[in-house]
Amino acid sequence: MQLKLRGIRKQFGENEVLKGIDLTVNGGEVVALLGENGAGKSTLARVISGAYPANDGDVEIDGSHVAFHKPQDAMKAGIQVIYQEFRHNLFPQLTVAENLFAGDRSGRHGRLWSNRAAMQKDAAELLKSLGMTMSPRALVSDLSVPEQQMLAIAKAIGEDASLVIFDEPTAALDQAESEALFVQVRRLRDEGVAIVYISHRLTEVFGLVDRLVVLRDGVVALETTPAESSEREVVQAMVGRSVENFYPKEQHGTDHTVLQLRGLSSEGRFSDVDLAVHAGEIVGIGGVQGCGKGSLLRSLYGLLPVTAGDVQLDGVEFRPTTPRAAIASGLCYLTPDRQNEGLAVQQSIARNISMATLDAITSVGMVDAKSELARGEKMRVALGIKARSVNQPVAALSGGNQQKVLLGRWLMTNPKVLLMEEPTRGVDVGAKAEIYRVMNEQTSRGVAIVLVSSDLPELVEMSDRVIVMREGHVVAELAGNDISQESVLHHALESAAS
Amino acid sequence: MNRLSALALQLRAVWMLLGVALILSVATPFFFTSSNLRAIALASSITALLAIGETFVIILGEIDLSVGAMLGFTSVITAMVLPHTGLVLGLLAGLGVGAGAGLINGLLVTKVNMPSFIATLASLSILSGLTLYFTKGNPVSISSDSFRLIGTGQVLGVSAPIWILLICAVVFGILLTRSRFGRQVYATGDNFEAAHLSGMPVIRVKVAAFVISGVLAGIAGFILAARLGTAQPSAGKGLELTAIAAVIIGGTSLLGGRGAVLGTVIGALLLGTIDNGLNLLNVSPFLQDVVKGAVILFAVFIDRNAGPIRIIVQSFKRMTPQTPHPTKEPAPTR
Repeated sequence: MQLKLRGIRKQFGENEVLKGIDLTVNGGEVVALLGENGAGKSTLARVISGAYPANDGDVEIDGSHVAFHKPQDAMKAGIQVIYQEFRHNLFPQLTVAENLFAGDRSGRHGRLWSNRAAMQKDAAELLKSLGMTMSPRALVSDLSVPEQQMLAIAKAIGEDASLVIFDEPTAALDQAESEALFVQVRRLRDEGVAIVYISHRLTEVFGLVDRLVVLRDGVVALETTPAESSEREVVQAMVGRSVENFYPKEQHGTDHTVLQLRGLSSEGRFSDVDLAVHAGEIVGIGGVQGCGKGSLLRSLYGLLPVTAGDVQLDGVEFRPTTPRAAIASGLCYLTPDRQNEGLAVQQSIARNISMATLDAITSVGMVDAKSELARGEKMRVALGIKARSVNQPVAALSGGNQQKVLLGRWLMTNPKVLLMEEPTRGVDVGAKAEIYRVMNEQTSRGVAIVLVSSDLPELVEMSDRVIVMREGHVVAELAGNDISQESVLHHALESAAS
Repeated sequence: MNRLSALALQLRAVWMLLGVALILSVATPFFFTSSNLRAIALASSITALLAIGETFVIILGEIDLSVGAMLGFTSVITAMVLPHTGLVLGLLAGLGVGAGAGLINGLLVTKVNMPSFIATLASLSILSGLTLYFTKGNPVSISSDSFRLIGTGQVLGVSAPIWILLICAVVFGILLTRSRFGRQVYATGDNFEAAHLSGMPVIRVKVAAFVISGVLAGIAGFILAARLGTAQPSAGKGLELTAIAAVIIGGTSLLGGRGAVLGTVIGALLLGTIDNGLNLLNVSPFLQDVVKGAVILFAVFIDRNAGPIRIIVQSFKRMTPQTPHPTKEPAPTR
């Protein structure tokens, strides 16, 4: 099928998000939709899928005009969307099979009473054809996040789609899972399905798609192919200015050891981890999901138990017990999940920034609101948080600015060690660059950073050293020229390959 | 911005209160008299005190169904120990019992990990049962005149319960808006995990909120017993629902993270005013709960639809042609 958009406009109140978009997607091709947060990618996806009515413009399928008033209309035309918030489209208390066929109106699996046996049989076949191994009887709430993501994808493509829109599908996936997803995307394309692929990750986009469309401020800023273009050109089109070096890595490493782990273990998660992190250094931890890299940070922060080994902070014995104790000792943890355990979104920017350092502005139990605002304002300027005022609730900010608020909370504590997990997840290119800048600034002041990231280019470019974990063990330590995406992947996947 | 919108939420309750007061002033000459207004404040003081404690609990995303039962229990206990201990110790005993009951609620919710709805539903049942058991269902009369002053005394022409309410509203209002504890309450209610990861003592904050709720139930219990001259075993029955209603009308979100003491007190006054007005208008007492239910629905409706309503109002403003300074229109030449 061929989808043709002409002059699509979409407005929310005064705010015009799409200012006349022309886009053609043909069957059998993968088109990447790129752009910073707020460029209009997700809005465009929602217009195509019938979730938002366009204010103006024309949608054609195979040459004939169509008008979708609700998502069901688009689904009937064979258009499926896998949204970034894919969990909203799953029923956690139902099984995999029940989720797969929740939208099925054929009556194949019974009308009044469901025929579970038939449903599970069909589900097993569908999953097998997609190369997925999960059980059709498993409850969705028991699945891991990547499995849920894969299920959402299976659900969408199982419904005889002729156009599939992927909105940031790899945000929750690690390298191996992403590769499995790419196999599915290519298979769909080869079957003649039209695919729109929205992603922040340029490297994977360049390896996957046939055509690239870059949106900026609601218009198409660049339309090209991977062969004719470069990542740098695309980034320039996204941000609208030239980006000299996207990863502005600076060297500030010293030989003063700030964080020292000896034989650190957490039963069932990781074991026998030795690691020394120096002041001013960024040490990256690579590995697939579940290799123990995230658990290591959480254990250091007192969120998971340490069952053996010891930790020294600045030469002093440190026993991780609670976040409070960790903060007091100069250890901070930037969570990968800022919505669920990072920000208090109804509270103001200033209040979120001061959440970990209230004691400093409290006397006799009362908070000095003036200095809280002043501190928040200072941090807002330092991090370039885009907001009308620090009294604005955090919920009103974009993902990148929310992440900066969270980062600001930890900088406020003047940490010795900053544990960062996925510091740029769901963050647009501009904010990414600013977060890297802040990381440089911190290391130049002697802060030691431990960086866990599933964004391989980021891990490789920003780290002074990278350790790779596999199944709970450190399997490699890379430094200098040995650090490359290939070497990290090689060590992370070795056992899977053998 | 944040401060403004918080104020606007509470203003909603103020507008509703003013609207109801205006209607009643027109409908009956007995409403807008100083003695009647004072009677409303007096009658609302008990609900308002319970609701202030409930506000802390609800901002934390929890609920306390046991405040009414705690009120009954503390008032009966205080009345029973008063003759043996004297005034001060008796009051302390009442407050201690309230705090203790709140502490147990808080520990059940945090340490035993029970949903607060269930934990406090159970303590509602246990406390009201114990109250009946200790009193065998009979009222406990109070002979201490000094204790009775809590309910009947006057300072500067204003009844003691109103003073107590004012003091508690100011103290707990400041605690919520200005203190570190208040910040921790909002942050914990908004996002428990985020507050925990920020090093806030989230468990202690939650327990403290339940203790505050218990202590305020105790104070409300003193007032009720002192006014009646007896501690009634069934005194607090159903008051938890009125208190929760006052909190919600006052703009506090049941989902946590948002709310204020001022709104709650106004919500309680609004409910008291409606009660009073319906009495003055000779509406059947059986219908009064119907009206209160409708008011709660209306308040929540406004809360949920604040955005759309604002848009409608603004579009109306845009439709009416702007006539700036109508007074400065060219005066007819003489």
